[in-house]
Amino acid sequence: MKKMKWLLVLAVALMSGSVLAANETPEQIVRTVSRDVLDIIKKNDKDTARVRDLVDAKVAPLADYNRMTKLAVGRYWLSATAEQQQALVREFRQMLVRTYLSALTIYKNAQVDVKGSRTGNSADEVNVRSEVILAGQKPIPLDFSFEKTDAGWKVYDISVEGISFINNHRNQFSTIIQKEGVDGLIKQLSDRNSSARASVVANTK
Amino acid sequence: MKNSFLNKQRFAMRNPILFIAALGLLAGCATPRNNYDPLESINRPIYSFNEGVDKVVLRPLAKGWTDIMPSPVQKSVHNFFENIVDLFAIPAALLQGKGTDAANSLGRVVVNTTAGIGGLIDVANVLEIPKSEEDFGQVLGFWGLPSGPYLMLPLLGPVTTRDVVDPVVRFTAGPTTYINPEGARYAYTGINAVDARAQLLPLDKMLDDQYDRYAFIRDTYLQRRWFKVHDGNPPYSLPMAADFEDPQVNNGTPVASPVPAAPGAESQP
Repeated sequence: MKKMKWLLVLAVALMSGSVLAANETPEQIVRTVSRDVLDIIKKNDKDTARVRDLVDAKVAPLADYNRMTKLAVGRYWLSATAEQQQALVREFRQMLVRTYLSALTIYKNAQVDVKGSRTGNSADEVNVRSEVILAGQKPIPLDFSFEKTDAGWKVYDISVEGISFINNHRNQFSTIIQKEGVDGLIKQLSDRNSSARASVVANTK
Repeated sequence: MKNSFLNKQRFAMRNPILFIAALGLLAGCATPRNNYDPLESINRPIYSFNEGVDKVVLRPLAKGWTDIMPSPVQKSVHNFFENIVDLFAIPAALLQGKGTDAANSLGRVVVNTTAGIGGLIDVANVLEIPKSEEDFGQVLGFWGLPSGPYLMLPLLGPVTTRDVVDPVVRFTAGPTTYINPEGARYAYTGINAVDARAQLLPLDKMLDDQYDRYAFIRDTYLQRRWFKVHDGNPPYSLPMAADFEDPQVNNGTPVASPVPAAPGAESQP
């Protein structure tokens, strides 16, 4: 009986936790997550692999990698098979984490200031504007595009100084798909991801 | 007769930017609609040429510069050129009726030119006078001129037809016109180019990682200009590929009117 009670308390605590998270506005999410991510980087300064795993775990529940990949692949998405789509999402996600981590290690002493938000293309979308502040440097605009899903708010695009991560890949991806097909794109992405992994391992050794 | 032809030719040679701008404008007239890079077939070879020059000349120079020069010297040189950028930002802000930005830029120039010894030290940064990045391309964009076709200029790099106005103004009104003798003028231009390239060195790795560097530079440049013309708060993000179809995104409803054809159809703030 006592054990059951304890389980109940735990269950309630967990539930309220997730309810709280679901009620957070996109602005609050950006504030807490950016603070947590910068903390992770500061605390694990030397250990790149550990930083990558911790940041990935922190960010993954908030990112809609599926939609990001879909938007980046554009009109070719529908012509890909389910397996190809899965592979694309997996490789695109790795690339995104890698790209932003290399940026974050430079900005580890930075601070993220949320400037405000506004409704996006529809009522279910919100764009949060923020600025990365580094001592003695011009603030860097950093924008997050959120969408409301059944599992709460999720990010589907990030822009640095107005340059969207998705948009920047769409034309390049279509060039590759036109030349080498969807499998060609998957191969290109995974080759680059694994060579980047190799260089990270080499650096930490 | 012969004389006037020679004069014209000399004009074209002495003002390569104007000459290229004129070419770009002419070409722009024959632009098919709904395509933000109608000159891609001309731009791509020019980009390859630029890449070659960069690899052989500019990048090694910039690397040598950052390796050899003590960093305070690098910093001072960079500050010096930024002070001139701030100087041009004053009229550019005024022409858009942005009084605060103009005042800030004026304040920066005054402080940095005097206390900062001719712009060598960025005192204004210590005083936290914000830097506004206005330029003459943004002035035209502010007043409703669409950006026109994207151009890749030999040696000068990416620019939209509208934004050519900025290098033209800076070139004709800038300090180069007043620097004598000629040797000093070349030195000024050369150091300016090396400093500008040195600023971009940290991005080289990222660029090398791209599948299609031409497309990457174009898409980055156009989105950044769109962002700047709207002072960091554009009404919508620039659609970079005309052929965008995602049923889930559109939710069955048509995408906001016929999708604006990238920079060709900018709406105004």
